Order: sequence, then structure tokens, then C-alpha cells
Amino acid sequence: MANASMGPTSSAAWANDFDEWRTQARRLLHLGAPPASVTWHDGNASHDDLFSSREPPSMPPGSPPAPIRIGRDQLTLLRNVARYRVEGHDPPRWPLLYRVLWRWAQGDAAAMHPADVDGRVLHQRWHAVKREAHHMHAFLRFHRRDDGRGERYLAWFEPAHDVLDLGAEHFADRMGGSRWIIATPRGGVRWDGSALDYRTPCPKDWTDQARTAAEHANADEEHALWRTYFVSTFNPARLNHRVMTQHMPQRFWRHLSEGDLIPVMEAKARHGGQRLAQESSVGQRKGKALPGGRSALSRSSSGDDG
Amino acid sequence: MELIDKLSILADAAKYDASCASSGAPKRSSRGKAGLGSSNGMGICHSFTPDGRCVSLLKVLLTNFCLFDCQYCVNRRSSNVPRARFTPEEVVRLTLSFYRRNTISGLFLSSGIIRSSDYTMEQLIQVAKLLRETYQFRGYIHLKAIPEADPRLLEEAGRYADRLSANIELPTLTSLKTLAPEKELGTIHSAMGYMRQRIDAANDNAERDAKRLPRSANPKRMAPTYAPGGQSTQMIVGADATDDRTILQSAQHLYRDFRLKRVYYSAFSPIPERPAGLPQAAPPLLREHRLYQADFLIRGYGFQAEELLNAPGNLDLEIDPKLSWALAHRDDFPVDLNRAEPAMIARIPGIGLRSVQRLVDLRRLRRIRYQDLVALRCRLETLRPFVVTQDYRPADAQRDSTRLRQSLTQPQPAQMALW
Repeated sequence: MANASMGPTSSAAWANDFDEWRTQARRLLHLGAPPASVTWHDGNASHDDLFSSREPPSMPPGSPPAPIRIGRDQLTLLRNVARYRVEGHDPPRWPLLYRVLWRWAQGDAAAMHPADVDGRVLHQRWHAVKREAHHMHAFLRFHRRDDGRGERYLAWFEPAHDVLDLGAEHFADRMGGSRWIIATPRGGVRWDGSALDYRTPCPKDWTDQARTAAEHANADEEHALWRTYFVSTFNPARLNHRVMTQHMPQRFWRHLSEGDLIPVMEAKARHGGQRLAQESSVGQRKGKALPGGRSALSRSSSGDDG
Repeated sequence: MELIDKLSILADAAKYDASCASSGAPKRSSRGKAGLGSSNGMGICHSFTPDGRCVSLLKVLLTNFCLFDCQYCVNRRSSNVPRARFTPEEVVRLTLSFYRRNTISGLFLSSGIIRSSDYTMEQLIQVAKLLRETYQFRGYIHLKAIPEADPRLLEEAGRYADRLSANIELPTLTSLKTLAPEKELGTIHSAMGYMRQRIDAANDNAERDAKRLPRSANPKRMAPTYAPGGQSTQMIVGADATDDRTILQSAQHLYRDFRLKRVYYSAFSPIPERPAGLPQAAPPLLREHRLYQADFLIRGYGFQAEELLNAPGNLDLEIDPKLSWALAHRDDFPVDLNRAEPAMIARIPGIGLRSVQRLVDLRRLRRIRYQDLVALRCRLETLRPFVVTQDYRPADAQRDSTRLRQSLTQPQPAQMALW
């Protein structure tokens, strides 16, 4: 453990989010605290650390600290990497970010390069975060509700990383004046047509509304239209399970309005549907060949009345 | 007929068009405005059907009544398929409803040719106009350009649409004559030429306006846009005997002459009541995949179609076109990653464009080692015989291409027959 190498000058730092980390990191950097001497805690100051003083050391008196120069792109990279939710034995976020920042401040520009031992982890996490934000833009489903509380759109989404705000900004651009709520297992956000209202944890009322709307999706006539479209636009002759799940991981299916159709469509394709590109229910309808000939084009009207 | 029945028929009728991209639109937002929809240049795939294809747009035909008798098409007039026609309001309703539920990012509207080409084009424009003007819809709109339509209508379509596409379907005059007697290659080309001219002019205006200052002084400074997402087309693969070289050369011409954003390749899928002469076989998906790879090499990597296929014939199904080219040009390899031009690094199989950029950035900081290729997740087993780094030289640099090829190929990825 890092503790073993710590001398008497070791310090502890607490951060809940990126901005708190940034303040702490700036302070530690000015103090010249090397990464191995800092114990980072994710969350509020609640744990005791035998080797550290609870009170952060104050700035050394005298000359003001030299500013740390870091480009906007690098700052964006670090900020987005902090959104990555670490699982299991992966290195926790704050020590990683501090080590990279420390190396960068020492003039080691390779620290943020994807081929670097730390930079590689940064870029992998950034990639995962970008991908999850994109998943949210793509796979979140709004359900329309119009009861005594007025028309609104409700969504339940389970993001794997902290991308709620990235999604919210996107939907504020997209949905115009429509009011909506997005509830997640951690936070929630509401758009009233003019401003975003973030809450952590997500209020129970929002969660209940979103989950109820999702469970009663069938009450909405448009739901059936979308499912019909999904079935009809599928080409059974091109069945390709691997590519589909590569792009749309199975964990999202549960909350998609069309998710439960997928296994049924695949089974149908495997049992004969694959022979044609046409959806079988369309093939069962009464067909209509049209009269024609090359001259048909110049005629004023010909069989176009659906 | 109920709306849901029409949707079922007209979505089924539209799925033969491979394109479903919603990328390339300018930045638009509805925040604090009446109306609905945004775009930011990035496409979004809202779902994937079990064929692995992206659902980004509501892709439907306005009607599948059609005067044409293109043999490869399920909607040809002699085909015994159920027919339907949407009203413009129905398409608008579906688009807005799906959009609000976040299942699509816009509309891709095409149509069978009814009454006349001009009339058909007018009908498509009417839907786009309703969406844009009456409902202030700022999402993505892709309209099919009917090549025979009056240029005045193509002009109007480009004002509402982010992307226009006229499908060439078959790349040779002979194939078109046999399989699509009503289509004229010349007419398609002149429509593409017209659209290119309008897109170029709109882009020039936009650049000129961007330089004009100050921004606030002239609220109407925005140049009138014309199909800001550009134009695309599609070619069918495997409906006739046209080989890959002809297809790729044709695509190359289209990119060069008309500055198309994309050429899509659509493996011919078996259709009901197959006309004589068309294959009743599984769609050639692997061949289609190789064409997309080759197309990408032409657009992004500086390859020429003739380099990838130096004689008539098809692309190798067993290995990808870049590896195939490298095996045929062993004299150019191995490439020293610490010295080579970026364009040459891009020609190494197993190294993609993003890695090229990262390697070039990295060598400004320090020398490139083999371990860096591991960290950048390049395809090591493929690139191994073709690169030199500070600490690595390929042991098999002298091995002849045939044997190298054998060692590089995985067990037979052949096109599977379905029945």
C-alpha cells in the first residue's frame, strides 16, 4: 500500500467531485506534495487516516505560488475522466488524476498521451465516458404523460458513469419547450422549458413518475406505432446478432420500448424469415401489381391513390 | 387503411435503402424556442435492429405506388406487394411523435414515382416544408432527390433538407438498361451535378459570411443553406454481374466529380416474386463489408480504386483490402514508425487513422517503441511483419507474401450460404 512509503510529511485530501479535487490538487501541487505522499479519499472527510493529519497543511508563507499551466483540452480530459465510475481493483480516480497532474507540472507531457502508462488509463476512461454519454443520447426513452399535472415526458435511465448532466444539456437543446424529467439510480434532473433543476439523490416522486410511465408504456398509442416501425424496418435476410449487441449492449434492452421484440424477431428470422428481406406480415397482406408501360410517366394520373 | 398498417408497409418498402445517417447537419438548438429538435453534426443511432443496422431516422416511403419497373426493387410496378400512401400530415405526426420519445433523430423520406417526377418531388418537399415551417422542426431531414425532377424543385428541396440523395443503384449503363429501364444514368449525373453546384455555392457564401463582422450587426447574415449535410448515393451489390473494381471506380468518380459525402453499398437481399435473372441467395454481406472497407481507404487513406484492385475482379473476401495491398507491395515495407511520413504509416495494415495521429504526436515527445503499439491497441498480429520501431524489427520481413498471408489468415471467414 501507498501508506507504507509515506513519510511524516504525508497528507490526506478529500473530494466529492472534480471541482473539489481541482482545488485540493492545486493546493497540494503548490506545497510540492509528491503523489506517493498523498492519500486521497473519494467522498466527504469521514475516514481516519493513521498517518495523516486531518487539518490540511496551510500554504507556506512568503512568495505566492507559481500558476500551474494546463491547456483547456487537458483540463477537459481530466474533468471527463473523473466521471468514470471505478469498479473493483481499478485504480481510484483522484490519485490517478493527481499523479498525471504532478507529472504534467514536472514537464512530462507524455503523461496524458494514450501510449503512456497513466495516459492510457485516462484515455480508456475518457472513451468509456464519451460512449456512455452517447448511449444516453441514443437509448434513453421518454414516455409521454398528460394527467392533472399537465403534459410532460418522463424517462428512467441507468448510466454506468456520471453523465447525467451531459445528457440533460443535450435534451434541453433537443426538446424545446416540452417539459421533462430524467430519473436515474443516483441523481435526477427536471426541465421546465427554461431551466434545468438537478437533484441528488433523485426525488422519490420523480423516480416513481418515471418508473410508472415506463411500466405503462402500452397506454400510449404511439408506442405501438414505434414497435411496428422497428419490426418493419428490420431486414431478416441480414440477421446479425453479433453486430447488434456490439453497438447496443444488452443491458439497455430492458428499458427500450422495443427491447422485448428483439429476441422474438431473431427467432422468427432463424425459422424461415431469413429467406426474404420482407417482413412476413407485410407479405401476407393482399398485394397489388400496377398497370404501366414506359408511357405511364407522361400520363397525368395513374394508380397513386393509396 | 389505418396509420399503423401504412407504417408497416411503407417502412418495409423503404428498408432497402442502406443509408440511415443523421450526421453532418449544422448546429441547431430548440432551447428557449418554439418548435422541436436539435442537431450538432454528430449522428445518433437510437436503436439497432437484429440485422445490426442502426436506426437513426424514421425511414419510410411516402408511397410505394410506383410507375417504374426496376427489377431489383420490391416496389416495382409489376410486383404484387401491398400498396399504401401516407398523407404529408401522417408523416409529420409520426416524425414528431417518435422524435419526442427519443427513438429517432429525424426523417429520411423517399417515394415511389407517382404521376410524374415533378409531382413526386413536390410531395416530398411538402412534408419537409410542413416540418420545418409549420412545426419548426430542427431535427435531421434527408430527402430523396428524384433525378428527373425540375431543377427548381431540387433547389427547393435543398432548402429544407440536411441531406439529399439520388440513388444510382447500378453503376453501369448496361446494367441499368437491363434492370432499370426507366432510369437514365445521364439524368442522375446531371441532378448530382446540379446539387453539387448548389452545395458548393452555399458553402462559399457561409464562409464569406463567417468573416463578416460584427455578428450582432446583421441578424440575417446567415447565408441561405443548401443541403448542409451534403449528398449521398447507393449502389446495389450482387444483383448483377458487375465486379468490385467497376463499383469502386464508379464510387471514386462520384466522390471526385460530385463531391458526394458517402456512397452506400447495399448487398442485394432476396425479394418476394423474384424476377428472372436476379439471384435468390443470401445477401453478400461479406462482399459488402469489403467494399465499405475499400471505400473508407479511398476516402480517408489516400488509396486509389486501381491500387486496391489492379485488374478486373472482386476484393479478396479472406483478408481486408489494406492487408491485401500491403502483401502485394512488400518492397514498401517494413515501415519505420520513427521516420515515415504519416501518409505511409496510414498504409500499414493494423494501424488506423487515429493511431497514425497519436504516433505522430508521440514521436514529437520521444522515440516510438513496440510497447506503444500495444498501448494504442493497434492490431498487433496484423502489423507485426510491416513495422520497425526503436526496439523492434520484424523477424519475418524476408518471408514471401504467400507464406505470410497463410500465417495471417484466420480460419476461413467465407460467405455462408443460408439454405
